[in-house]
Amino acid sequence: MLLKMTTTKTDEILLDVEGLKKYFPITKGLLRKTVGSVKAVDGVSFQVRKGETLGIVGESGCGKTTVGLSIMHLIQPTAGFIRLKLGGQWVEVNPKTICNLRSEMQIIFQDPFSSLDPRMRVRDIVAEPLLAHGMKSRRERYTRVESLLSSVGLGASHMNRFPHEFSGGQRQRIGIARALALNPSLVVCDEPVSALDVSVQAQVLNLLDDLQQEFGLTYLFVAHDLSVVQHISDRVAVMYLGRIVELSEVDELFIHPAHPYTEALLSAIPEPNPDMEGEQIILKGDVPSPADPPSGCYFHPRCRYAKELCHQVSPELMALGETGHLVACHFAKELNLTGVSPKETA
Amino acid sequence: MLTYIARRLLFLPIVLIGVTLLVFVAMSFLSPYQLVSSYIKSPEELKNQSLDDLVRKYGLNQPAHLRYISWMKKLLRGDLGYSVSANMRVTEAIAKRFPATIELALFSIIPVVLGGIWLGTISAKHYNRPLDHISRTFAIIGWSLPDFVFGLIMLMIFYGVLGWFPPGRLSMWADTIVLTGDFIRYTGMNTVDSLLNGRLDIFWDAIRHLVAPIITLAYLWWAFLLRITRSSMLEVMNKDYVRTARAKGLTEKIVVNRHVRRNAMIPVATVSGSMVLGLLGGVVIVETVFDYKGIGLLTATGAQQLDYTLILGTTLFYGLLLVATNLVVDVLYAVIDPRVRLE
Repeated sequence: MLLKMTTTKTDEILLDVEGLKKYFPITKGLLRKTVGSVKAVDGVSFQVRKGETLGIVGESGCGKTTVGLSIMHLIQPTAGFIRLKLGGQWVEVNPKTICNLRSEMQIIFQDPFSSLDPRMRVRDIVAEPLLAHGMKSRRERYTRVESLLSSVGLGASHMNRFPHEFSGGQRQRIGIARALALNPSLVVCDEPVSALDVSVQAQVLNLLDDLQQEFGLTYLFVAHDLSVVQHISDRVAVMYLGRIVELSEVDELFIHPAHPYTEALLSAIPEPNPDMEGEQIILKGDVPSPADPPSGCYFHPRCRYAKELCHQVSPELMALGETGHLVACHFAKELNLTGVSPKETA
Repeated sequence: MLTYIARRLLFLPIVLIGVTLLVFVAMSFLSPYQLVSSYIKSPEELKNQSLDDLVRKYGLNQPAHLRYISWMKKLLRGDLGYSVSANMRVTEAIAKRFPATIELALFSIIPVVLGGIWLGTISAKHYNRPLDHISRTFAIIGWSLPDFVFGLIMLMIFYGVLGWFPPGRLSMWADTIVLTGDFIRYTGMNTVDSLLNGRLDIFWDAIRHLVAPIITLAYLWWAFLLRITRSSMLEVMNKDYVRTARAKGLTEKIVVNRHVRRNAMIPVATVSGSMVLGLLGGVVIVETVFDYKGIGLLTATGAQQLDYTLILGTTLFYGLLLVATNLVVDVLYAVIDPRVRLE
């Protein structure tokens, strides 16, 4: 966490997402009639400040990856407004502008084993975006690749190899080098370490941290591992069933969660100290299907604090106090929820 | 890469011995009297000796292992026996007919593969949209048509009505020139030889005779390659690295051509390899319909006349061909897929 203090964090907003929705149609029958839709992302709004890391956490299937991919327009969002501030100007991100904006926003993918073209050499994988965005000279490109590889901890000797000759961690480094090739201001990290061994996870996280300071990057960090998110994020958004249920500064969220779902998530973090005995909240039932979400608050069937109101009215994401702590719960102010102790080591 | 090829070559003799054994076993089902026919060139030879004498003379009544050894000895000298139906030595017949088949195979594999890949790419790019259905329907009609039906339709239209593409390998006038001593037969392939002899008119004539069988073969086989290319491309399109390519900001065209198609070509290459093999083995029906004197027609004629020597000889030849083409395909595989190389 010490590293975080030195980042060039400002209050200036870099990315503004408003009402982002992604519905996947469910089709049936011979004529593929649409009979419903999976609401993977159901009206998500948030802002990412320049130089910060915004973590997005949630269970599998809560739509956090879809948020990342929709912002990158790697899947077309159904609705919503995404804009990026470039040189003091707001630029709308839409299918028309995205091609040019790719140099400003990049993505690091979850699976380093499948996300690199097996038939391309590393130098070409990393150099391809440069070529696509107008760096015509081959020598110039390869010089840039060499410096990129060295900043992610790989050497020039790796340039001529194929992806299958690398380990998972090394491959993810290649993926990071590729994402940074165009000097983007925003990098969407789609669970960048979840496919890696725990020992390698820390290395890659620290690398991401170092690169953030070196290049002044802004991260949108999607993950399901709470300790990873706590380590790397400045602010955290918690998603449940396609919606953000809580968004706050990382320490505030971990110490004083205001949404029952966040509390349950936090209680699930394994406690390394055997003497500490925290209560583990076991959520009842499964995550409801995003094709058929429950009425009212999406979380009420599994919430141990649920009251009559929760069955009927869906809560808005509202500010809790002055600190910019947002939460979508009717009883956020009344509930006194347990968080975790702040991490001493980071 | 070289070690990879070298290692494959080491296996070659073993495979070849296996092939000869199989052919030998097939041969053992024949009686010595049937086998002895491959030693007799003319009825004259039977005048002074009985068949039994000949059987004894050529050791055909010996135990199997001795017969195998003497057969192998003959084989290593390049002697496959005498073909009654072709009225010449089997090796000679193969040497004479094979260039025609190579010529047809080489000329048709290009439109077959390129056309198939092109159709497959269209189908994949327009997955489940009208263009996909159109190209698939077009190809499946070709796949469903029996080759003799489509071949005859081709003949009827382009020879019978239009007179553009005649059957055979060369017109009469060209044939007479080719058979004279002035025309040197370097390869036995009419197109190549005519160019080497500087006879453009004969080259043009040879091409005219090739067009109809090539179109027939291409149309019959496009569906096969289309399906392989299409499904392979659809699979690759959902791969993560294609999403990565999009994230790089590449245009859709570059994504498809550079990332999707290149990776989708791996199964296509395997199939194309076996297609070349099929073509080199002779396409009996197409050769028959167009009276194209290749190795397929040779074998078919031999089989009709129960010419054992020829059938066994060509079987062995196919075996060799199979091993050789498979080797080429494997090498090609390593070129296309870097992951194979290091094993």
